Amino acid sequence: MFEKLIQKGLEKSAWLYHLNTGSCNGCDIELVSVITPRYDAERFGFKIAGSPRHADIIVVSGPITSQSRDRLIRTLAQVPEPKVVVSLGSCPRSCNVFNGSYCVEGPLDKYAPIDVSIAGCPPKPEAIMAGLVRAVEILKEKRRAMK
Amino acid sequence: MKFPYLKEAVKSLFSKPSTENFPKEVKEAPEGYRGKIVFHPDKCVNCGMCIRVCAPGAITRTIEKVEDGDKVTFQFYLGQCTFCQLCQDFCPRKAIELTKEYLMIAENEEDLMVRGTFIKKAPPKPPVPPVQPKPVAQNDQPKEENK
Repeated sequence: MFEKLIQKGLEKSAWLYHLNTGSCNGCDIELVSVITPRYDAERFGFKIAGSPRHADIIVVSGPITSQSRDRLIRTLAQVPEPKVVVSLGSCPRSCNVFNGSYCVEGPLDKYAPIDVSIAGCPPKPEAIMAGLVRAVEILKEKRRAMK
Repeated sequence: MKFPYLKEAVKSLFSKPSTENFPKEVKEAPEGYRGKIVFHPDKCVNCGMCIRVCAPGAITRTIEKVEDGDKVTFQFYLGQCTFCQLCQDFCPRKAIELTKEYLMIAENEEDLMVRGTFIKKAPPKPPVPPVQPKPVAQNDQPKEENK
């Protein structure tokens, strides 16, 4: 009886986990500004979770440095299915200006499939919100496909 | 009896919320915002200055030989762009333009590509001079004697 209600609740409120893999902090500041009263992403149901085990959407910012690579793999493995990986900014998509550096280990799609990528360096808070809304739609599709 | 913030409370009771109603009202980016790249292939002269100046190497060029010149394709990968505007500043023909569009959300790599193709015509070939008849060997010999 409560199954449907729980499913609806899960669809309407996706929790984010923000993973910084060597970002320059530009994208991180923009992501934090999304949950401020001015943009207020919580009206779409987003909440920044403290643990990857509670998260539905993982927002990755930064090129993957060799220090953070193992942690990225470990964190992504802890997120329960269905999960949506969002790449924030140019860095996880292609390493941006750090491409070819000795301490940067490749774009994010080497380790996990990127579902939504938000371009911009850094993207505007509005763009991040639009990307997250798109991620929720993908999450809904994935959750229905799993049943 | 004193109510210290009564005025403020009454004021905010009747004022609009400070949250921007984002998906319904999309605000325009401020003047000088560097957003999505637009390439005008009809103005480009294939000097390659933008490729030289691009720090992350987001611009690639492919040249194909066609009958009447070179078929040049410029490709801008927005997933690698830093949006520094140097390509626009250095372009001698103003063929590259960074617009105010900031909503760049993509699900695959192909959506982040901006491409432009044009044919650069080869300079007209000089008319082939008619083949002159070979000078007779007898005329050459007296000249050498004079020297």
